[in-house]
Amino acid sequence: MKLFKTMAISTSALTAEKLRLDVVANNIANINTTRTAQGGPFKRKVVMFREKLDRELNRITLSDNAKFSGLGVQVTGIVADTKTPGKRAHNPGHPDADLEGYVNLPNVDLNTELIDMMTANRAYQANLSVLNTSRQMHEKALEIGRG
Amino acid sequence: MSKPFIDRTLNILIKGLDAAMLRQQTIAHNIANVNTPGYKKIDVRFEEKLKKAMGSLTGNTLSVTNKKHLAGRTGGEIIPEVVRTRNIQQRQDRNSVNLEMEFSKLAVNSTMYNALVQQVNDRLGILRYVINEGRR
Repeated sequence: MKLFKTMAISTSALTAEKLRLDVVANNIANINTTRTAQGGPFKRKVVMFREKLDRELNRITLSDNAKFSGLGVQVTGIVADTKTPGKRAHNPGHPDADLEGYVNLPNVDLNTELIDMMTANRAYQANLSVLNTSRQMHEKALEIGRG
Repeated sequence: MSKPFIDRTLNILIKGLDAAMLRQQTIAHNIANVNTPGYKKIDVRFEEKLKKAMGSLTGNTLSVTNKKHLAGRTGGEIIPEVVRTRNIQQRQDRNSVNLEMEFSKLAVNSTMYNALVQQVNDRLGILRYVINEGRR
């Protein structure tokens, strides 16, 4: 895999952004989920992105005689967003209404989710483009010594 | 340490190729981390070092500023360096990657790489010609 490190870096981003997209899709799908296995309403999830470095090189810095330890990006967790407040709707007839007749709704905001979706999409396209350029460069390198 | 058939020019071309591939990795890493909060972009420094070394290839010994440097005649040790840039414009999530800038670096770098590959092939072609013609 070391030979095609450039491709591995871009692929890590494709995987990560795809995961973000999955989480967004799940948030939107659960925009009206008032009851979960844990009790309360659905809480939106967010992905945690972090830079991925090659620990095998025994250094956290980026270069040592041009040995580059960057390996792209990784998702370190999918966590529930407990800080954003959820909406409440007055609906006494609802089976999940509380004593005051209010239903606690998920803290999923469609606009926020759509913006996250567009961000993920743009990053995905960008990394795909880099992957293609890297592939072209490697193919060009195969021409050395030919003919 | 001298390799057969590799003259000064070919040596520099090969170093250029290595630097361009390293730059490609750093660009890929930057773009992969375009959405990572707090991430600061990285760059490769190579051209300034190359210029300095080229200046002394006309005959004088190379300047030695690092214990890894050799004051040799084959282009010395021009090592590309990966640096993390600080104190530049960031977004709200403290990410400093400028996607448009990275893409233009990508375009320039891949063109440069292709050009270097072509140059290396030309040099090897000359060697091949010399070897073949020497037979007659």
